[in-house]
Amino acid sequence: MLDHFAGGKTPVHRLDPAAKTVATLAIILATVLVGRDRFLPLAPVAAALALYHAVGRTPLAYTLKRLLVVSPFALAVVVLFPILEPGRAVWTFGLGAWTVDVTQEGLLRAAHLAAKFLLCAWTTVLLVATTRFQDVLQGLARLRVPRAFVVQLAFLYRYLWVLMDEAMRMRMARAGRDGGLGPWRVRFQSHAGLLGVLFLRTFDRAERIYWAMAARGFDGTLHAPVQSHMHLKDWVFAACAFAVGAAAILCDKVFYA
Amino acid sequence: MPDWAVELADVRYRYPTGPEALRGVTLAVQPGERVGLVGPNGAGKSTLLLALAGFVPAEGLIRVAGHRLARGTARDVRRHLGLVFQDPDDQLFMPRVADDIAFGPVTMGLPLEEVEVRVHEALHAVDLEGYEQRAPYHLSVGEKRRAALATVLAMRPQILALDEPSANLDPRGRRRLIGLLKCLESTLLVVGHDLDLILEVCERTVVIDAGRVVAEGPSRDILSDRALLESHGLELPLCLDAHM
Repeated sequence: MLDHFAGGKTPVHRLDPAAKTVATLAIILATVLVGRDRFLPLAPVAAALALYHAVGRTPLAYTLKRLLVVSPFALAVVVLFPILEPGRAVWTFGLGAWTVDVTQEGLLRAAHLAAKFLLCAWTTVLLVATTRFQDVLQGLARLRVPRAFVVQLAFLYRYLWVLMDEAMRMRMARAGRDGGLGPWRVRFQSHAGLLGVLFLRTFDRAERIYWAMAARGFDGTLHAPVQSHMHLKDWVFAACAFAVGAAAILCDKVFYA
Repeated sequence: MPDWAVELADVRYRYPTGPEALRGVTLAVQPGERVGLVGPNGAGKSTLLLALAGFVPAEGLIRVAGHRLARGTARDVRRHLGLVFQDPDDQLFMPRVADDIAFGPVTMGLPLEEVEVRVHEALHAVDLEGYEQRAPYHLSVGEKRRAALATVLAMRPQILALDEPSANLDPRGRRRLIGLLKCLESTLLVVGHDLDLILEVCERTVVIDAGRVVAEGPSRDILSDRALLESHGLELPLCLDAHM
């Protein structure tokens, strides 16, 4: 489950989801705004996240696993930077007819990018680890994120599991008949067929869900009852997150002026 | 002329890429009546429910709770018709059970306090109190089915239309559902192959085959007519078969 540890009872679990969502966005924004190749301004962010991690009692293995899952998105860029960035070569190797230089500037840029990416991903993982997904959605709705976007996310989360189940059942049905063996070409073709059928089933299901919504009066406008409210502790928490973000940016401006 | 809860006259529909699913269905249901719609696969039973709610553009007269279905009146019709779909995963689309049940009442524009009362009542009716914060995905099939029914009960419709309500239910879940359906005061339309359930819940049964009504009458008479049932791809309910 995405939010397996979100049912905890720690102080950070009890914070208002809107406050946590705002804090997450503030931290990510500050991290992104730090100038390139500057590591020091990232330190307050990392310290704050480590504190949040500890208070929320999020298991380290869970966090690392989640970071690993999202890392391929950054990996391609991180790997390419050292060889694409011009600068002083620290290592040269041949690749067929080409000579490739790994530059010091490139390595630094890659490390900085990786650090920023990991901090942003860590922030998001911590939000999800300490807040139930539906509460994140409610937080987004209260922050006046367009309703259609929030509902889109809700549907994605709701039906991801149904689709995964469906895909799993089809895979098992296939494995039951080919024993998981067979020539790769046939397996590849059946993969394509499986995806096609999954798409069609998704399409059909989307229509049935729309019917179910329309049967209950849905006319294109989404209304939702809003329940929780921000308390003092939530305001203080959001303010702390902004302070950490401000510290990072200040550090960036002062030390690298 | 009595005020029918549901009135269908010569209802026809052909799927754009398929055969004619409804070939002139004529049917009237009295307020408070419980009617079972039975027939073989592909007979047009589920299509009839979709036509009733205006989801497929059928020809002919369709009147639900006094509202004639036409372009622009589908919303009025659906306000009085609670449709429970065959697959509860289609019906339960919100992240929490309580949100899902609140969806209909909130869309109707009811105040928050009233929505809460209705959510509570609906959960109580289907024996799912305490499930408010649960994610629909994590419910068992039986619980999902009851939650799906609750989403419609919260709207207090005059007419309830259920498509295969007992599909995939274990005997205990099925028995619970039968008890629940017998307690409801709404007009009831039950589509399905579970003839034992229909015999127990519905006083009248309508047999549909190839898009037409081929027989109708008291459930006990229709569902004990072996020749009629077998000629339309059905068989005697188990409870009657044991005595005949």
